[in-house]
Amino acid sequence: MTTVHAGRTAVRKSVRGSRGPRRHGRTAALFLAPFLLLFATLYLAPIGYTVHQSLFRMRRSGLGLTAPTQVFAGLGNYATALGDPAFRGSLLRVLLIGVVQVPVMLALALALALLLDARSTPFKRFFRLAFFLPYALPGVVGAIMWSYLVAPGLSPVTAAAEHLGLHLDLTSDGMLGPTIGNMLTWGWTGYNMLILYSALQAVPPEIGEAALMDGCSALGVAWRIKVPMIRPALVLTTVFSVIGTAQLYNEPAILHNVAPNLSSTYTPIYAAYNAVDANNFNLAATESVVLAVLAFALSFGFLKLVQRRGVAR
Amino acid sequence: MKPSPITTKLVAALAAVTASTLPAACSSGSSGAAPGPASAGGTVELEFWGWAPGYDQVVAKFNASHPNVRVTFGRTASGSKGGYTKMLTAAKAGNAPCLAQVGYETLPSFAAAGALTDVSTYTAEAKSQFSEWTWNQVTIGGQTYGIPVDTAPMALFYRKDLFAKYGITTPPVTWDEYAADAAKVHAADPTVYLGDFGNDAYNYAGLAWQAGAKWFGTGNDRWQVSLDSAANKKVAGYWQDLLDRKLLKTDPSYDPSLYADLTDGKILSDVNAVWNAPTLAASVKSGAGQWAVAPMPVWDAANPVYGNDGGSATAVLKGCAHPKEAAEFATWMSTDAGSVGDLITVTGIYPAATSGLANPALGKPDPFFGGQVIFEVFRAASAHVATDWQWGPTMTQTSTDLGDGLGRAGTGGATLPGVLADVQGKTLAGMKQQGLAVAAG
Repeated sequence: MTTVHAGRTAVRKSVRGSRGPRRHGRTAALFLAPFLLLFATLYLAPIGYTVHQSLFRMRRSGLGLTAPTQVFAGLGNYATALGDPAFRGSLLRVLLIGVVQVPVMLALALALALLLDARSTPFKRFFRLAFFLPYALPGVVGAIMWSYLVAPGLSPVTAAAEHLGLHLDLTSDGMLGPTIGNMLTWGWTGYNMLILYSALQAVPPEIGEAALMDGCSALGVAWRIKVPMIRPALVLTTVFSVIGTAQLYNEPAILHNVAPNLSSTYTPIYAAYNAVDANNFNLAATESVVLAVLAFALSFGFLKLVQRRGVAR
Repeated sequence: MKPSPITTKLVAALAAVTASTLPAACSSGSSGAAPGPASAGGTVELEFWGWAPGYDQVVAKFNASHPNVRVTFGRTASGSKGGYTKMLTAAKAGNAPCLAQVGYETLPSFAAAGALTDVSTYTAEAKSQFSEWTWNQVTIGGQTYGIPVDTAPMALFYRKDLFAKYGITTPPVTWDEYAADAAKVHAADPTVYLGDFGNDAYNYAGLAWQAGAKWFGTGNDRWQVSLDSAANKKVAGYWQDLLDRKLLKTDPSYDPSLYADLTDGKILSDVNAVWNAPTLAASVKSGAGQWAVAPMPVWDAANPVYGNDGGSATAVLKGCAHPKEAAEFATWMSTDAGSVGDLITVTGIYPAATSGLANPALGKPDPFFGGQVIFEVFRAASAHVATDWQWGPTMTQTSTDLGDGLGRAGTGGATLPGVLADVQGKTLAGMKQQGLAVAAG
């Protein structure tokens, strides 16, 4: 690793030496310009505008039937958003769903990836495709399908439970979280499995063979050799899943159609979208910023945590 | 059927993105030009956003008979499913269409967002063609923002054959009779219900409207919010009692499960607005010819007052470069006999224009309702609709919060009086957050 790195630096240095720094800088700028332009206009500007919007609020006079004026609100919108029990509840809810659902899904994805990677597994190509298929389906379509599978009055699961004498309502207040977690797991396990599987493909087979010859069981190879070697892929899928859960919207929004008890502020994005609907763009911007900061803190915090552990090892 | 909210929201979001990336090409360019004479050289182009079926036909008719004005109809998602968000976002971005279909309930919200154009000067002549209360729905603070299209008196849609089967000889006239019939039906067959308690906030508003349980008012340059007034508690108490006794089904409003139950004869009736007639006919797969319409139950049989659920206007939005032509189109659409006839038969509206009430399309027997001329029921009801109802400026939020609460009440997670108190608090807070002067009334 270090030798390759040193070699690259050497090459870079020699290129710089032959052409001269100024000309090189101009060429680089030319090549970088399209990226920087798009990055600034499509990425930085919207973020900046959102933060800007979150610091203002609308002032109306009396009945507010004339066009409103925008006034500086400082952190007033943040106080409103964080003081709103519904919004705080939505943040806690995605956190809870994330804490329960992400480990379950990733454990499942890892198990499936290891099974696919095992030498004796039959019909590998079929299973690989079958597990991945839910992800290939547009998320909204999957959500609609699931909403009919859990809707009271339509659900075959509820009907089957009824036959066994059980009353099972998959859209009751207590079941909404598990139902959404189930929809997420169904939709995303295959995707994560594929990432982990491709990482497993890169593990040199001779290491496993050597371990087997040394008397390690197949399970031991999987747990002691393969899993540690695809650690970066596991970290990546975890971070993606954390961000994905923070941005939860499709599943609850679709489920709301069949579960009227699911509130319109169920997740932070749902709440922010409602604020837009209510023409309160400033509050929507504030809620988006709060969510973005939290998602950033969580994913960055997780990365820091695993990096530190990695060093310790 | 209904487009799913997610797709409509995506469309709205995309539209907002495209809207903001095209730097207000049409509106900013043309708004500098003087309206009226400047357009003498060519035709005036107007854009019209809405979602009601049949509006496109009416627009085509207008274009055929008005060579100087060309209206383009753009279909949006229905208002509450993303259409209004798209319009408000476009107004904020400065490239809203000239004309838009806006429900009376949402018009004050549009006004509070500064998204409307005052067209009082162009609509003075049209005013006499509408009843006072419908005109009041498009006039806020003395400024007229559009032309009323329809009103939506409510009635009881019911299965004649199944009412007879369960021993209900005449449809319930009062709410007391309705409750008694609900108990009778459910006792005869525990899987069958007289009606459904859905989660549509505006349907519930119609019930409050009927009872004179006002939600909003204005006074001393302040909004008054009275969602948990004594009158509202009375309405809420009535429905909570039926829910407590499990006499009503609680399918979500306009949901496939509701239509499945109506088709299977598990729900026998629905208290709904006039525009529900074509929806019902299209969504209920059997029982055609067995349905009928009766006046909705009332609180006082000696002095019947009915509710209203909906009704919309053709509003002129902010930045419209040709408000005169826009008002001309809107007036034509609501008053021309041919246009109103199309709107009655295709859209299923009940016209707001007084001349429209004599439209021959309202006298047609409807085969789905066993040949009944259903508009006769609505005509009788519309003469007794309470006329002092006022909508608030944050109805999107209020209706979302109330819809959530109705859903929770339906599944037993909350009680209606509690829900109304909760929505009252949220509405007050939301209005303060938007910078409006407000007081609990």
